[in-house]
Amino acid sequence: MESTYLTLLSTVVFLPALGALVLAFFPREKTEAMKYFALGVTALVFLLTLIMALPSAGDWQFDAAVTDMQKVFSVGWIPSFNINYFMGLDGISFPLVLLTTFVTMLSMAASWPIEKHVKAYCILFLILETGVLGVFLALDFFLFYVFWEVMLLPMYFLIGVWGGPRREYAAIKFFLYTLLGGVFMLIAILMLYFSSDLKMLSKDQLVAAHVISPELSEGEQAARFAEIQAHTTPRRTFNILALQQLGQHTDAFNGDVLGKPLQWWAFLLLLIGFVIKVPSVPLHTWLPDAHVEAPTPISMILAGILLKLGGYGIIRICYPICPQAGYELAYFVCALGVVSMVYGAFAALAQKDFKRLVAYSSVSHMGYVVLGIGVWSAVAGNEFNADAWKMGMNGAMFQMIAHGIASPGMFFMVGVIYERVHHRNLDQFGGLFAKMPLYSGLAIGIFFAGLGLPGLCGFIGEVFVTLSVWSFNHTLAVVTASVVVLTAAYILWTLQRVYLGPEYKGPHGDHLHPMTTRELAIALPLFVLAIAMGVYPQMVFHYMTPSVNQTVDDLAGWAQRNAANLPQMAAFDPTAPAPVAPALVQAEIQ
Amino acid sequence: MDPVTTLPVLLGIAWLVPLASFTLILLFGPRMGKHGQGAGVLATAAIGTSAILSLIALFFVWVPAYDWAPEHHAAHAEHGAADHHDTGHGDAGHDDAHEKDAHGADEHKAEEHKTADEHHEWRKPYVAGEWYTLGQFGKLRIGISYYIDSLTVTMFAMITFIATMIHFYANGYMHDELHEITDHEVTLSNGHHLHRPGRFHRFFQYLSLFCFSMLGIVIAGNIAMVFVFWELVGICSYFLIGFYIERKSASNAANKAFIVNRVGDFGMIIGLMILIATLGTFSFGDIDTDGDGTVEPGIFSLVRTEANNHALVVPDGMVRAAAASEIAAGVEPSAEQIAKWRAETGPGGIGRTAYWLLIVAGLGIFCGCVGKSAQFPLHVWLPDAMEGPTPVSALVHSATMVAAGVYLVGRFYPVFTPETLLVIAIIGCITLFIAATIAIVAVDIKRVLAYSTVSQLGYMMLALGVGGWSAGMFHLITHAFFKSLLFMCSGSVIHAVHTNDMTKMGGLRHKMPFTAYTMLAGCLAIMGAGIPFMIGLSGYYSKDAILAQALSFKASNPQWGFLFYVAAAGAAITAFYMFRLWFMTFAGKPRDHHAYDHAHESPKIMYYPLIVLAVLAVVVAWPFWPVSIVALLEQARPEGFHETVNGVLVSNLTHPAEHISHEPNFHNQATWVATFVGLSGLGLAIVFYGLSLLNPAEVARQFKPVYTFLWNKWYFDELYDYLFVKPTLFVANRVAEFDKVVIDGIIDSLAMLTRMVARLDDLSDRYLVDGFVNGLAAWTYATGSKLRSAETGRIRQYVMFIVVGTVAMFVLISLYIS
Amino acid sequence: MNLLTDPVGITHYLIVGAILFVTGAVCMATKRNALGVLMGIELVLNGANVNFVAFGSEYLRPGVLGIGLDGQLIALFVIILAAAEAAVALAIVLNFYNNHSTVDVDRADELKG
Repeated sequence: MESTYLTLLSTVVFLPALGALVLAFFPREKTEAMKYFALGVTALVFLLTLIMALPSAGDWQFDAAVTDMQKVFSVGWIPSFNINYFMGLDGISFPLVLLTTFVTMLSMAASWPIEKHVKAYCILFLILETGVLGVFLALDFFLFYVFWEVMLLPMYFLIGVWGGPRREYAAIKFFLYTLLGGVFMLIAILMLYFSSDLKMLSKDQLVAAHVISPELSEGEQAARFAEIQAHTTPRRTFNILALQQLGQHTDAFNGDVLGKPLQWWAFLLLLIGFVIKVPSVPLHTWLPDAHVEAPTPISMILAGILLKLGGYGIIRICYPICPQAGYELAYFVCALGVVSMVYGAFAALAQKDFKRLVAYSSVSHMGYVVLGIGVWSAVAGNEFNADAWKMGMNGAMFQMIAHGIASPGMFFMVGVIYERVHHRNLDQFGGLFAKMPLYSGLAIGIFFAGLGLPGLCGFIGEVFVTLSVWSFNHTLAVVTASVVVLTAAYILWTLQRVYLGPEYKGPHGDHLHPMTTRELAIALPLFVLAIAMGVYPQMVFHYMTPSVNQTVDDLAGWAQRNAANLPQMAAFDPTAPAPVAPALVQAEIQ
Repeated sequence: MDPVTTLPVLLGIAWLVPLASFTLILLFGPRMGKHGQGAGVLATAAIGTSAILSLIALFFVWVPAYDWAPEHHAAHAEHGAADHHDTGHGDAGHDDAHEKDAHGADEHKAEEHKTADEHHEWRKPYVAGEWYTLGQFGKLRIGISYYIDSLTVTMFAMITFIATMIHFYANGYMHDELHEITDHEVTLSNGHHLHRPGRFHRFFQYLSLFCFSMLGIVIAGNIAMVFVFWELVGICSYFLIGFYIERKSASNAANKAFIVNRVGDFGMIIGLMILIATLGTFSFGDIDTDGDGTVEPGIFSLVRTEANNHALVVPDGMVRAAAASEIAAGVEPSAEQIAKWRAETGPGGIGRTAYWLLIVAGLGIFCGCVGKSAQFPLHVWLPDAMEGPTPVSALVHSATMVAAGVYLVGRFYPVFTPETLLVIAIIGCITLFIAATIAIVAVDIKRVLAYSTVSQLGYMMLALGVGGWSAGMFHLITHAFFKSLLFMCSGSVIHAVHTNDMTKMGGLRHKMPFTAYTMLAGCLAIMGAGIPFMIGLSGYYSKDAILAQALSFKASNPQWGFLFYVAAAGAAITAFYMFRLWFMTFAGKPRDHHAYDHAHESPKIMYYPLIVLAVLAVVVAWPFWPVSIVALLEQARPEGFHETVNGVLVSNLTHPAEHISHEPNFHNQATWVATFVGLSGLGLAIVFYGLSLLNPAEVARQFKPVYTFLWNKWYFDELYDYLFVKPTLFVANRVAEFDKVVIDGIIDSLAMLTRMVARLDDLSDRYLVDGFVNGLAAWTYATGSKLRSAETGRIRQYVMFIVVGTVAMFVLISLYIS
Repeated sequence: MNLLTDPVGITHYLIVGAILFVTGAVCMATKRNALGVLMGIELVLNGANVNFVAFGSEYLRPGVLGIGLDGQLIALFVIILAAAEAAVALAIVLNFYNNHSTVDVDRADELKG
């Protein structure tokens, strides 16, 4: 079985890279062929992942009912440091993988207007896809980090070479920000690695973490377990699942570092690394610049996929590995989310550049994700009812997918007119509805999805996140609710300035010809998905809810086990003093 | 026919047919018939089908299936309260009443609350169930469900019927859109008027979606679903108000409508949050959602528990929420403990906090209604919404959108505490007065009607707020008939004279008699004309009911008596401005002869609906029909409101039961007052505009400040612009600047700093590190140069050196060793 | 002790060696002729050789060393080295003579610093 999965997932991840390799042998002048080839590769990857979503795919089928990791395989990579080529899928990563392959395919189709260094563009583009898919699939922390960095470099070049007038500035800004996050992450990874010890885990936990393969027979498992226990020195690990087990079931990460538990620092470092990617205020300013300068397809990828890596990292890594730190910093995380929502919306309201506005709307919308993940209300009033948190986390996950559909759509829509009139000044549009009715209709639809209109994808995520906040904190809840007004304001105002009105006010008005078939083929799937997800959200929840709920239940279970040592988080008193670090370690030792 | 299975199917189809029509027109609109004319036919057919289905549901399914509520049921309940427990209205009765519906199709779990046999307490009949789930997390669940009681059915019939009339009318009114049209209100930069293709099909596409959304609100079985369709109604109104997208004013009005509504929704979301967090359910009725055989109580049952005789109880969930810190401290939240907490209603008590939660939840939901029903302080969008085509105004102002707010207050009535109701009453009262005063001076025919709508909605809110549930809902329905009539008449006039300005009309009754006299019927209906105690137009009954309830409320709460006086004064003003409108438009001499000469009666497709509606506006509320609206509504009266209720936080607050207002001392008094104020308003209008005995311009000059104040709509737009819009934009700009200047400034200066450090590093490399290394090399070189003179190149000398050196070494060694 | 009366022992050898060495050294230091210098070198080497042989001799130093062939072996080694060195040195001298038409070492001062 494992070998099947090894083949399957490795194919998914490395097929684009393989395509990039093949592309390198294309003659330089065959640009059209290169584009078709790259599109073909991305489409193939998408089909591959789509097949996994189908119910009758046999071994390949992603089983939505399974809450744990599936399609797991693990092969030794650097045995001396216990680093494995270790991948798997669950309900949290699978929708994101599907989203990635889908949006990448559409972005490749949107890359047709690229004329400069087509070969390099396609190669970098495909390598980028490999990097992103690798991050979503990797279960080994080291592997995760490697893919994280692999993804960074192509993006740098894609912005820096094919971007707008200030591309170098934007590319360097993007690179430095992400690299900084990566460095923080690396520090945290090493901190966790050097305090981990597989010997602290029971046999069942090791099996659950796939350190001992569940496919082995009972006897072999016992032998493996004895082998691990026989070591005299600590067995360090990069296995994310094992680190989660260690974080939740042992006090491995509670050692004191500068007056705080080690996991507190690790959490903070990882969080900074991830919220840079999300991005949250105040670490967000790379995003508008990167978006404004990046070419349209790269903006689509950036908004649609790369931002999701941050949210994914927080769900997969921050909370499960460092639950206590997550508990203590819950207010911090939620406040980050809420501030981003409000701040992004206000900033969007003031923009004159169409693309910048959409970029800020991303900041605002991704704030929902951080908030939804962070509404740690599992222990409100000592009642271990995690339903509200489940709703928030599911809402956040849905919001990631929904934003992954809506925001590439928005960027693409901006790109379509930018290609025609070569400017993005909001005050110099108007009257597009009369000139390009089909385009305007689709654009208004997609923008309404961003606005969070019921029946479109944006609504579900936003409403679930918003509704879950009250149980956590009333003030944040009220602020969260108020964002709906701001969102409506900036989106409607934009629509009015761009699409409505009597006539087009800017230059190159005669270039405003209707959408081409290619453009329609990109916009229409996004639009249809936005509606489908809004009307029938179960098509996404079906895949993600079991795993998300499992994650929340695990954490709630952790909180319940450690209730005696945790500071009470009085959910109905936001004015209560901030919880202080509990003496968890000492208590457990005693 | 079994209503439990039939009603959801019938109404469900009636609800979805307009959606189908919307989808079809969206996809094939321009290709339907000539210039998309088929779209109008399709949309009309669709809503007509809905209307037929709704009427079938009302007359052939609902009416035969359910008993009427006993006339003065509450009177029975009052002395029944004592023997309530004796009758054993406990579990056994409960099971009886909750007859399980085993044959619910597919996953539809439906229960029915049947009217139990006569010996039993009368129970409100309703059918509730779920169609499908949007999401479920633990026990929290949000789905698409239905809740059908007689209010739902009545509203369905009313909405679909009026909408059908409006669709017919719109087919005529929007005729211009069938071909290329020139919009005279839009001037392009080259000085020409805008010339654009017609958008006939798009108009009907939006209308269909609008109807679908509104019906969705009405059939919704949970408050979250209401919110979903609430937003959809908002967006439809956005499209329809901004139908003339080329006009800046239209798109501004559309934006304003949507954003102001969103402000209301902000409150509504807070209400939703509280409900989901404390009650864990959004469902109105009791439904067995998970199919395990037990019925999960809905919001209504939680707030008004059966055990407490449907009187208001703060639900357990809210008490637990309020006692969170106690529970966190380790107090076991047992049933007794919760009851104990609930009783702590003194200042600072947990029960009081819980009660506040309930109030805030109620007010939050009401906030949404304030936005949608254009109540003070969110009423500003409605008059601007007149930018839309007139059929839209008719639809928005009668059957949909603004009705949704009042409907939701009525639907959510069980959750409102007396304090919440008091707020609703006061808001309604303020609204009705402000709007009525503005309507006096407005000269745009549609705006007069718009303000009249706001004012009438204020009446409904007032009625609901003072405990007159059926009075409010009754007025909602009668108002829908005559307001749609009035708007369509005004549309007919505008269609004829191509202006909204009443100062350019006059004498039109000779040119367009159908319009004039149907509109007269509408004016009489809204004024509440009738022969006291005998017969009247529809408004007569509903307005009387409202005034009677206000009077009854005044009797119980003398300190809130002004509500009644304002309502009475509002009635006079209503009569005045409505007849002002009628006289200015249809009577007297034509003021603009050009317009007058071109005026003509509208085509049949437009005035036939007027006639139908005019007849209905007269007769719809008559109590002597076999199926009277009042009786229907009584069937849907929320449980717990058959009796007088008292407030907790506000002292001496009593909401008298509605049946009390039917007693002669209130009812007669109210009728006389209504008749008197109506006639006085009418009389004033005749004096000013009918007979021109007094010159209104003269009066306006006399009261210049008041006139200006009213003319400028109490300066609300300016105030809001100053208070909210400008500060928001200001903050937005500051935030954007903050991003650019501070955050990017910090980042950029960090980058600069890094570069400076790098340069310093470079310098130190050049001069410090390299300096040291180079210096060392130079020194070595210099030393070598100095030593070179020792190198003579003479071998013999070297040998000498070696020898001497060796000898010296040995000498030294021998010295040291010894 | 009297060297003249004592039986020939190691000391005598050492004295002979020392004389040879000093003579050679003086010869190297004083001769301007390259061949003379070479001869001086040979003397120095052989002075050292005498010492090696003396120290390595079982006969002269009984019981001190094991088998006692080390000295002789090293002496042989030095002789061979001396031969090789002489060959190389003579080749240099020959070249030097070809270039400068003299074998005066004082003229060969190209390494002068």
